[in-house]
Order: sequence, then structure tokens, then C-alpha cells
Amino acid sequence: MAITLKIQRFLGEKKWEQEYRLEVETGMTVLGALIKIKETMDPTLTFTASCRSSICGACAVKVNDNAVLACETLLADLLKRYASDTLTIAPLGNFTVLRDLMVDWQPKYDRLKKIKPALQPKTEFSASEGCRQSKDEFKKYSKNSECILCGSCVSECNKSNLNSKDFLDPFIFSKAAKFVADSRDKDAVAHLEPAVKDGLWKCLNCQECAAKCPKGLSPAEDIEKMRIATFEKKMSSNEGSDHAMAFYDDVKELGRLDEAKLALKTEGLKSALRVPVAYRLMRSGKLNPLEQAKPIGDIEKVRAIMKAAKEKKL
Amino acid sequence: MSRRTFLKVGAAAGAAVVAGAYFAWPGSNIPEAVRSGSALYDVLIIGSGGAGMRAALEASKQKGIKVAVMTKMAPTRSATTMAQGGINGAARNTDTKDSPEIHAFDTVKGADYLCDQDAVAYYTEESAKMLFELDYSGIAFNRQEDGRFHQRKMGGSSYARAAYSADISGHAVLHTMFEQCLKENIDFISECQLLEIVAMNGKLSGVVAVDMRSGEMLSVPAKTVIVATGGYGRAYWVRTSNPYSSTGDGIAACLNIGIPFKDPEMVQFHPTGLASNGVLLSESSRSEGAHLLNSSGERFMARYAPKAMELGPRDLVCQSVEKEILAGRGIGEGLKAAVYLDFRHIPKAIIQERLFQVRQLALQFEGVDIFDAPAPIRGTCHYSMGGIDVVDYKTCATKIAGIYAAGECSCISVHGANRLGANSLSEVLVFGKTAGAAAAAYAKGAGYEGDKEKLKAAVAAWNRKFDETTKRSQGASVAMIRDKMAMTMWNNAGIFRNEKGLRQAMGDMQELQAMYNTCQVGDSSRTCNTAFMNYIELGNLLRLGKGIIYGGLARKESRGSHSRTDFPQRDDKNFLQHTLISKEGDGFKTEYRPVMIGQYKPVERKY
Repeated sequence: MAITLKIQRFLGEKKWEQEYRLEVETGMTVLGALIKIKETMDPTLTFTASCRSSICGACAVKVNDNAVLACETLLADLLKRYASDTLTIAPLGNFTVLRDLMVDWQPKYDRLKKIKPALQPKTEFSASEGCRQSKDEFKKYSKNSECILCGSCVSECNKSNLNSKDFLDPFIFSKAAKFVADSRDKDAVAHLEPAVKDGLWKCLNCQECAAKCPKGLSPAEDIEKMRIATFEKKMSSNEGSDHAMAFYDDVKELGRLDEAKLALKTEGLKSALRVPVAYRLMRSGKLNPLEQAKPIGDIEKVRAIMKAAKEKKL
Repeated sequence: MSRRTFLKVGAAAGAAVVAGAYFAWPGSNIPEAVRSGSALYDVLIIGSGGAGMRAALEASKQKGIKVAVMTKMAPTRSATTMAQGGINGAARNTDTKDSPEIHAFDTVKGADYLCDQDAVAYYTEESAKMLFELDYSGIAFNRQEDGRFHQRKMGGSSYARAAYSADISGHAVLHTMFEQCLKENIDFISECQLLEIVAMNGKLSGVVAVDMRSGEMLSVPAKTVIVATGGYGRAYWVRTSNPYSSTGDGIAACLNIGIPFKDPEMVQFHPTGLASNGVLLSESSRSEGAHLLNSSGERFMARYAPKAMELGPRDLVCQSVEKEILAGRGIGEGLKAAVYLDFRHIPKAIIQERLFQVRQLALQFEGVDIFDAPAPIRGTCHYSMGGIDVVDYKTCATKIAGIYAAGECSCISVHGANRLGANSLSEVLVFGKTAGAAAAAYAKGAGYEGDKEKLKAAVAAWNRKFDETTKRSQGASVAMIRDKMAMTMWNNAGIFRNEKGLRQAMGDMQELQAMYNTCQVGDSSRTCNTAFMNYIELGNLLRLGKGIIYGGLARKESRGSHSRTDFPQRDDKNFLQHTLISKEGDGFKTEYRPVMIGQYKPVERKY
């Protein structure tokens, strides 16, 4: 059948959308279509691709606003999913576009360096005899080693979209989590510290990265794991971890949140800046500073659940 | 506000500004010194696959040595990522009976004796150590009970010798190397395509490359250049497992300055490419026990390799697959003809743990779930044994001082007429390391003897060429010429060859070259002009394809991957020699160099 691809074009200062109509052949992928357009209709259409078997990460693009690897995405599946004979193709989001569908990776590599992206082998290991690691220890990080640097997670990240200046790209957190989880690494803190500094507690937890990763990684889950690791490593607190601890303490103590104290516990003295807000809340009767929060009736059950969760090390 | 709060807020604001400034740094694909023309590299590496990155890491160990890796794409998109099954080295974790000597014998036998045995001995010694180094660098190797990395047995190997990371071993190797390069702050010159290595009268000046982003022609002076640009499998275009980027750019550049193209006819066809598009199903499929079946469900390898069966070497298995198809025992017809690769007897848990990529690829491109049905497969061009003539395996030097080669683009020669599965990943690392060390040592003791004026002249010539070729509005398209090239290469210089077919291919290629000389690029923009890139790549493939045909015509015997139906026997008397194709005027000349025979005397191969 014939379909229409609306492709977002970009060159120099110019940005436009261009339509191409082509016949879908059996087994044709998005990449197959892009190549067909370039070879038979418009040699100026620009995109990158290399392995065409989902492992080099060069060909990720957005189709109808969702990041996919062009080489593994069958057009027939997309047409069925969107029940339409028209698809839009655009470059990945949260990247600088160089031309058409080609984006700039360089700043990402520079940021990747921040989390010390290499194993720091424990002293008992050596280059002449390698390392030792159990099968279970291997499983703790092996999934994270499957990242192909395609950028799908970056494209979909709502936090990066909002402000990427204080937040590393999702795959960078997954890379850091790999070393944190690798039993061969001697110093998880060296990877955790920069992660904390550059946004570990700022993830919005929207799970888009996990939903869109073509390799089934979950940067969001990796971020959660690293947050837990910061407590295990007794790393110095920050607003993010204090906020989480405030929730934890309240629930453990009361079985619910004590919102009057939340800002104070999270931000410490800085919460003084919140006084005008607190004042307005008090005036409208939404906050009573004199109220003594009491534990809920089933507090023991809540504490038992929390204890079980902690011991199982979820 | 208390004084303390004031300070805290101030500090936070300061940190935010600093962080903002850091992130706002635009970054560039090219170091500033290269753009301004003031850079002079001690070691300039072309290609960012396993060999290139390993070379960079080794060269940068020398203090005061300026190193950079140039790549035509982003650094992690290379063919190395596509290696699946594993990385050979006699580490003896899994099979204590293994040794570098046995690995050497397997390699020599696999190569059908067309390799240099001194180089092979060096390679197997070093690769045994290499695996431990890799483990120490943080690669995700699958483990065995004692905590060491586990090894699996690949085709043509006597023992379990291949360390692996599921069925994405190459990806694991490459990303481990990239991690190390980030750690060592290696300079990358990304998205720059090599156009020419400038060397005259045996003196290297540097390279000319096009910056893809700006279209600017750059000259990069260098004391040494390590060519690590990969193979030339794309000469067969769709019938290959190689990435689009495997266009032999470095080999063509070396050929142009007088460095021979060694054993070009030795092109490996892998038996298990998907029938529809040549994408590879890993050899680890057969390593984990998958069977090859013909249309009547017979395990036909019993006919060709009764002992090794499916785990025979690639040349033998691939030729067996093709023979079944030619004898009418395959399925489908024409280019879609195939036989089956059957996984149904393998426990699903093993497939999920070790062959998940294989399962995904079969599902994606053939619509076959290997849990329930066999996958249709056929030979696909997989590896270039031939390549840049390396004259000293201990340094990876070529005949021109300061120019080195490592990885698939090189011919050292370790793989001879047929490479064993899982030997390439260790080869790229062993010889990448060797080349990196040798180039750095050479650069340290040498001044820059090149001529920057010659580089400038080359840049001017490339600018003229860009303008001239991109301006054309008539002529054949790059894609059309390329498809015709692939068709004649597959039909006449493919798995089986003969005089008539090779002559036909030679004529076709000459016609195609004429078309190429007046073809149109179709895009005149200087910004990210991938059409120009494809045009350059096709020019390289046409040259190298012609080299394959030249070598194939001259080698009147069948050896390893080179199978001549008109000369079905191996002829050690005349052809236990490397083919050397070099430039002579506008054409090529063919010369020979005897193979270095060590302790393993050539005998007939049996599996």
C-alpha cells in the first residue's frame, strides 16, 4: 500500500516539513523507507544509520512523537498501531539537530564523562588474572551493559525537556548504575556522587525512558536503585534525599505525612524562604502549625510492612 | 535571613551558575586545534572500532604523545558492535586443556594455511592475556561457577575458547573500549570522513578528511597514522552482514599511495545470514547447538563435515549451505533461496539467556520465533580477510614509514583464507594494541617529516572535486551503480567463482567505473552531506571490488573462502602465497609473497 511520510527537515536556518509518498513493501522498516526516499526521490534527506540490526544505536528517530530505532521498526506495525496511512518522522528530542534527522551527540559524551564511566577494579583483581564475580553478581549489572547509546531515552525524558542543565541524560544514569551494581568496582561512591550532583533526585519518575528503551533498560529504575545506594553508602544528605527521608520518617512514625514539617525536614533552614507561602496557607485554614499529628490506628501494620520491605532489600 | 542561610543560598546559586556554564559548553566534533590547522598529531588513528580505540589507549600511555581517533560517524557505531559470538583466547578458564599452541593450530588450519604462522603464534599468545585485561577493564563477560569468565566453543575451535557477553560480545568489547577512552580523555575527531592519506616519496604528511558537519575539507598533519577503518563487505551491498559503513575507506586510501592490497579475494561468507536481508544470526547459535536442516529436514552437514557437523569452519559450512541450495534441497528461489537453522530442541531458557538477540532478529526480519519454527538462512558476506599489506606483525607497520594498519582493514596475516569465529575480536584488540604502542614509539623518536604544503594542495583538490561532483545534475545515481556492483559481485565473485564469471564481473566493474566518473551526487549542501559521503564510499568499493576480482582471477585454486569451480583443488605448489594487488598507472598489478610456514605443515583440511 502507499503511505505518506511527513518528515521534519532542517538545514542551516531553515526548518520545514516535507511529504513523501511511497509504496510499503513487505518487511519494510522505517529505515528502509528513509533509504528508499534518499535513493529514489531525494538524495538530500539526511539521517544516520550503520548496522541495521538494532545494535549500533545510530538510527533512532521519532515517529509520531515516539522514539524508535528506525532499523527495527516495521512500517506495517506502525500503520496498524496508528490506524493511519500517514506517519510523521522527526529527529530525537532534547538533542541539537545538525541537519534533518541527524543530531549532535558530542555534548552527551562530554556529560557522560562526569560519572566516571569506567570500571575502577578492586585491588584484589589484576590485568593479568582478571576478576572474579559470581553469576548472580554478574546479573546485577549485565542488563545495563546492553545500552547502545541510541538516545531514545533522552528524546523522551520529560525532565530533560523541562531543563537539562541540572539533569544528566537518562542513559548516563544507567551507565553510572552499571558501575554501582558491578561487584568488581571498588568505589560506588565515585559514580554516585556526580550522579547526585547532577540530578539523581530530580527525575520526574514519568517512566518514559523505560517505556521507550529499545533494549529494555530502565534508566528510571536505575535512578531509584542509585537513590537507595546513596543511603546504603551513607552519603551526605541533600534536599532530594532529605525529602525522601522526611516521607519515610513520617510514614513510619504516623502512617501518613505531616505536611507542616515536610518543608522544614527537606530544606532545613532554607525553608525559611517558604514562610510567605506558609502564612497564606495558614490564613486560608489549610495549615495549622499548632496541630499535633497523631499516628493512624493501624500504625503497627504500616511499620511491619516497612520492616519487611527493608529486610527484603527491594 | 541568617548569615548561614545567606551563605548557603549564595553557594547554591554559584554552583548552579558553574554547572550551567559547564553544560552550556557547546562541545565540538573536532578539537579546536584541528579546525584552526595548528594541530600536529603524533598518532592519528582512523576508525573508532575495537582496533582504533585500543590503539588510542595504548598510544596514549606514552607520555607527551598527542593522539586522536578520527571516525566518519559517532564513535560507537562501528562494525565491532555487531560481533556477536565471542572473543577467542586460550585463557583456559573453561577448558584447561586449551593452549595458545592449540589455538594457533586451529587458526592455521581454519585459514587453510594461507596465514603467516609467526604472526599467528604472536596473536594467540597475546589474545590469551588479552581476555584478562578486558575483564579488568570492566567488560560484562558471562561467568562460570568459580567466578571466572566463561568460555564457549565456536566453529573450528578444538576447545571452549571464546569468552562472551551473551550474543552481543562485540558491543560489549566496543563500549568497554569507549568507556576507557572517555576515562583517558582521548581526543575524538568525530563525523569526519577520511578522503586521502597524503604521502609522497615514502614520507607521510597526514590525512585529508571532510568534516561532515560543515563540509569543510580538513588537513590533519600527523607523524604516524594507524588505519583501522574496517572491512569491505559492502562490496556485496545487501548480501552482507556488515554495517553500511564497511566500505574499505582506509584500504582504498592506502592503495592510492602505493601500499598493496593483500589477499583481496579472501572474502568470508558466513553461513547463517537471514534469507531476506543478510543480517547475521550469530555463530553462537550453532555453538549453543542449533542444527542446519535442508528442505526435507535432514541435518545435511553430515554429508560435508561428519565430525564437526554444524561447528565446521565458516567457509566449509557456507559452501555446504550453497551446495544444498544448488542441488535443489533448499527452500525458496533465486536471491531468496535458503535452508533452515533450527533451534527448537534447545531449551528456551538457554535461548533467552544467551541467544536473545538472535531470537529478536529472526522475529523482526523473518517473522519467525525460533522457539517454534526454524529460521531461513543463507550465506552472507561477513568478513574481509584481505586488507592493507602489513609487513611486520610485531609493529603492524606497512611499507611506508609511519603508516600502520590494524583490525579488519589490515592483512597481517592471521586469518589467511578463512577466519575462525571469535578470532576477529581478539585480533582487533591484540593488533590495535600492538600498532598503538609501535606508532607512539616511532613518533617519539621521529620529527614531522611531512609537507604541509602538499596537504594544503590536497585540500584544494578535494574542494574542487566536491564542487564539481555535487554540481552535476545528470548521470547515474550512486545507488543505481552500487546495486549493479553488488549484483555482479554476488553472482560472479561470491561464494563460488570461476574464470568466466570473474571476467564478466571485471567487465561490469569497468563499465560501472565509467558511470561513476560522471555520476551525480544529488546534494550540493556542505552541511552533513551524507550523499557525498556515499559517493566517496562507492568509489572506494568499486576499487576494492576490482581488487577482489583481480585476486580471484589470479588465484587458480580453491582455498578456504575462495572457491573456484574451475579449479576445485588447493594448489600449494603455486598458491601457498599471498596475493599483492597494487596500483600501476590507472590499473592494478598482481604480485605474490610466500606464506610464512612454521611448525604446521600444510595438510588437507578435514572436519
